[in-house]
Amino acid sequence: MESASVAVGHAHADHHHGPPEANQSSRIDRQTLGILLFIVSEVMLFGAFFASYFFLRVVVDPPNWPPEPFELPKAVAGMNTAILVSSSFTVHYALESIRRGNRTGLKLGLVATWLLGATFLFIQINEYVHLGFSARDLSFGSIFYCLTGLHGAHVFVGLCLLSFATIRAFRGHFGPKAEDHLGVEVPGIYWHFVDIMWIIVYVTVYIL
Amino acid sequence: MKFNEAAVFKWVVIVGIAGALIVAVTLLTRPLVGSLLLLACVIAGCAYAYRWWRAPRRH
Repeated sequence: MESASVAVGHAHADHHHGPPEANQSSRIDRQTLGILLFIVSEVMLFGAFFASYFFLRVVVDPPNWPPEPFELPKAVAGMNTAILVSSSFTVHYALESIRRGNRTGLKLGLVATWLLGATFLFIQINEYVHLGFSARDLSFGSIFYCLTGLHGAHVFVGLCLLSFATIRAFRGHFGPKAEDHLGVEVPGIYWHFVDIMWIIVYVTVYIL
Repeated sequence: MKFNEAAVFKWVVIVGIAGALIVAVTLLTRPLVGSLLLLACVIAGCAYAYRWWRAPRRH
């Protein structure tokens, strides 16, 4: 009995070495599933901040929103929104280019996206400097800086990811096949998510 | 459901158009009207996202 089980074990060992292969979904690859789960967790994080924002807005219930001494630069933020949304088009252009094997388009798209993202962040910081109130000024100041600052941190992370993708693109790392440009696809998905979140932040905080 | 960059880009365009519509309506009328439109857009977006998620994969 013992010798039989040893023989079976040896036969099994001949066919398979190391740990069993990881199960993989046929619907989605590992990297894309990873960024999808990350984005789901990020949506919950932003959801908590938005819940705080609406809670404060309803509980404080001032006659005007934002409360009297506060004024937000809607036009500048609107222009900043246009800049960030246009960066989604450039990252999409970069990906479409590499899908067609156009490396120049990939590099151009990634550099343009990085520049537009950096411009957005620069204008955002400039806005903070000239706003005239800080995070310590009433609950509105706190939640305004928390929401926009949280988003700004995400833009910064997105810029870091785009920097890696751009450096790799200039080193000739990516190719037209789907599995050969995941290093651009995943940061691209993240960047689109950051754009969508900003549109929601802009509409709720600056406009409504 | 097909989750890739192109699909998410489509969502950027959808949310962008909805956002522009809400901004325009709010600035032309009152924030309350914009808030109601936002609520309607969120409900419609959730329904559309659910259908998109449940759609069979196309080869």
